[in-house]
Amino acid sequence: MSGKIFDFKLVFTQIPDLLKYLPVTMELAIASTLFGMLLGLLIAVIKIKHVKVLDKLATFYVSLVRGTPVLVQLYIAYFGVPMLLKYINQQTGSDLKVAAIPGFAYAVLALGFNQSAFDAEVFRAALLSVDKGQHEAAAALGMTGGQALRRIIIPEALTVALPSLGNSFINAIKGTSLAFTCAVVEMTAEGKILSGRNYRYFEVYVSLALIYWAITILFENVLKLIEKKIAIPEQPAQLETEQQGKGARKADGQKPEKQKKVVGKRERLTGEA
Amino acid sequence: MAEKKQFAVKNLHKKFHDNVVLDGIDLTIREGDVLGVIGPSGTGKSTLLRCINQLEVPESGSIELEGKTIDLSNGRKSNKKNIIELRQRTGMVFQRFNLFQKKTALENVMEGLVTVQKKSKEEARKIALRELTRVGMEKWANHYPVHLSGGQQQRVAIARVLAMKPDLILMDEPTSSLDPELVGEVLETIRRLAEEGHTMILVSHEMAFIRKVANRCIFLDGGKIVEDGTPKEVFQNPRQERTKEFLRKMSLLEAPDYVI
Repeated sequence: MSGKIFDFKLVFTQIPDLLKYLPVTMELAIASTLFGMLLGLLIAVIKIKHVKVLDKLATFYVSLVRGTPVLVQLYIAYFGVPMLLKYINQQTGSDLKVAAIPGFAYAVLALGFNQSAFDAEVFRAALLSVDKGQHEAAAALGMTGGQALRRIIIPEALTVALPSLGNSFINAIKGTSLAFTCAVVEMTAEGKILSGRNYRYFEVYVSLALIYWAITILFENVLKLIEKKIAIPEQPAQLETEQQGKGARKADGQKPEKQKKVVGKRERLTGEA
Repeated sequence: MAEKKQFAVKNLHKKFHDNVVLDGIDLTIREGDVLGVIGPSGTGKSTLLRCINQLEVPESGSIELEGKTIDLSNGRKSNKKNIIELRQRTGMVFQRFNLFQKKTALENVMEGLVTVQKKSKEEARKIALRELTRVGMEKWANHYPVHLSGGQQQRVAIARVLAMKPDLILMDEPTSSLDPELVGEVLETIRRLAEEGHTMILVSHEMAFIRKVANRCIFLDGGKIVEDGTPKEVFQNPRQERTKEFLRKMSLLEAPDYVI
């Protein structure tokens, strides 16, 4: 061990060791995000449809979860759930294996519940943003409420919700760094363990910061791609009935993109036929 | 001869808070009827249509079709099955088109066929293309609503309704949110439907068009039907003073003084 104040090299050389635990971090983030989104969507639908009793419960739940820190929620899950199980065992004589529950499960639950409260509000706003006419058109066709939600409303709301949901996922990735509380060894936990050996705490945190930042940048770009993918294309798709659509498009068959757009626009204006 | 299908709306009452919009409407529509509904704004013309397919729930009223009476006032929950059946047998064309934004013209027309009528995708596709052709929109099948003009969107919306083969088509001011130069194409489509013998209720401010296309015309005022007859009777010999006044105002608007 040298007496350097800051071991610049170590910041990079220990990154591979930390990355070994990236899969755990990502599993945590993805599992809790999926769980949180599903629960959040359910809560949003309950609130919007004003389901009796449940909607009061949902409001209470959102308020409670949003009003407490994640760290506290993780502790409550990690210590509370085993106590609850023990109590149930005592009362009913059942034999629920408390020790068999992996820390990972507590972490996913706590992080997922936390996200669901935020996602619920995101979904609620997105669902409310869908034009009333879309609901009416679906109803007028004879769709049931569920069909309209699944086929029309949720797909439209998702487009609106996506940027915020992406935000929520990025938060989740970073939220996983608290999972050590539940005895899950993910990246940050491994960093703490590593630095416990060489006392280079500062270096490890810098390494971690770089890794989290890089992952976030990566996912920001993935999200941009998804957003683009699910947005209504700027240009109409190529027609499958094109062959019948004589002449109109023949002229611009080989022309570069920009030209095409112009022709497309003109067509739109004049193609009343 | 097979008995003609008919829709009978009975004793329809609807108010929004204290504002009575429909005050006991009784109306029978026979198969093949093209019924024009006219009247000053705020007299419940649109509400009448929206009550018929339960987009609004009236205080009281029922609809009778083929011997079956469906209570319209029951609300959506208790009467769900009947309401869905009623909606499947009626088609609605909206003032603001209401095409599904995330679906192409073709998918818009296919949606009801697949989801509601449980047809296979291929079959739905075939029907949808046929209906789009009927309204002259087959070339635009893969375009999203945002890429279509108002008139084109409305024609797709009409195709969406036609594909479901409804017994009764409800048209709620189908041309009033269109730019003037796009009104023609939609009216032309509607005129063809009328000629093909579709049963329709047409709420519109296009008086000349109603006169030409409808075989029957009612004038709504104060939530009541105050005139009922052929367009010729209603437009030329209105019985009520309010109808005369309304028509006078409407024709004034069309007078040359106002044309720039």
